[in-house]
Amino acid sequence: MSGHRRTLGAYRLAIRLYPKRFREEYGPDLAGLLADQLRDEPAWRVVARSAVDLALTVPTRHLEARMARTPTSLVPVIFGAVALSAVVVAIVVGHPGVLLGCLAVAVVAGALALAAAHRARPLTEPRPTTHNWWKLLAGGAAVLVALIAITTATGELPEGAWFVAMVTGLAGVMLIGAGIVLGIAHLASRANRGTVA
Amino acid sequence: MPKSKSLPAASLYIVLALLDGELHGYAVMRRVEELSDGAVRMGPGTLYGTLDRLVAGGLIQETSDRSPRADGERRRYYELTAGGRARAVDELTRLRSLVHRTAMHLPGAAPA
Repeated sequence: MSGHRRTLGAYRLAIRLYPKRFREEYGPDLAGLLADQLRDEPAWRVVARSAVDLALTVPTRHLEARMARTPTSLVPVIFGAVALSAVVVAIVVGHPGVLLGCLAVAVVAGALALAAAHRARPLTEPRPTTHNWWKLLAGGAAVLVALIAITTATGELPEGAWFVAMVTGLAGVMLIGAGIVLGIAHLASRANRGTVA
Repeated sequence: MPKSKSLPAASLYIVLALLDGELHGYAVMRRVEELSDGAVRMGPGTLYGTLDRLVAGGLIQETSDRSPRADGERRRYYELTAGGRARAVDELTRLRSLVHRTAMHLPGAAPA
């Protein structure tokens, strides 16, 4: 009987692994159900089944809890502001030595802003990948404009900075190219849908 | 009427188990085990996770009738909603149809 109590105690601790809402709603029921099983079945079988069940359902419940989260728009705005500030500082300071650091901060903060905005968006019906063509086009254009502005403001660049600038420019051109290709594919698929309908 | 997607296995077993009337969690688990001839044994997390989704989906609901357990905790009972019952019957019809069509194409087997 004390073995059952220990098992139940360990299971109550394991219940804490579930997301807060789930364990607050069903915690007592989960423990009660395990107690019922321990009363009617061999303990080893109940323990084995419950361990497998925990391993499978804890990640699932967390995933469900994350999918049901309330979107927030504050985090992408903060990262976006950091990225913009880095670009402004690079333009204003104009020192080639500062350029690399500012570019790195702008790229990382921009990427984090995009990722945060993607996570915070409300869940909608899945749309075709080609729907995002304009984002690539706009992103590529923004990269090129920022690059031209920075290089114009700073004038002479050291060798390392030129390499970074060339890679950034190439990335901008590739983004624009990908945007154009996806845009054409998107328009073609819309025209095709219109024909079928 | 548009055909709805078939329920996942755990949800299907639970709505079929509740066709007999309201049950608490442990009774649902035992009924599922009985219906599946011992093949499906749900763990607590699977059972209550699925019950939670079915409640959220409007297929089952908690009943107000709660009887106290020996340890003083209260048991939560569940029953099918009208929509849940209709869905369970639809699933039964779909399964019967599947068995019937499959049996028709088996060599030497006549449908029941």
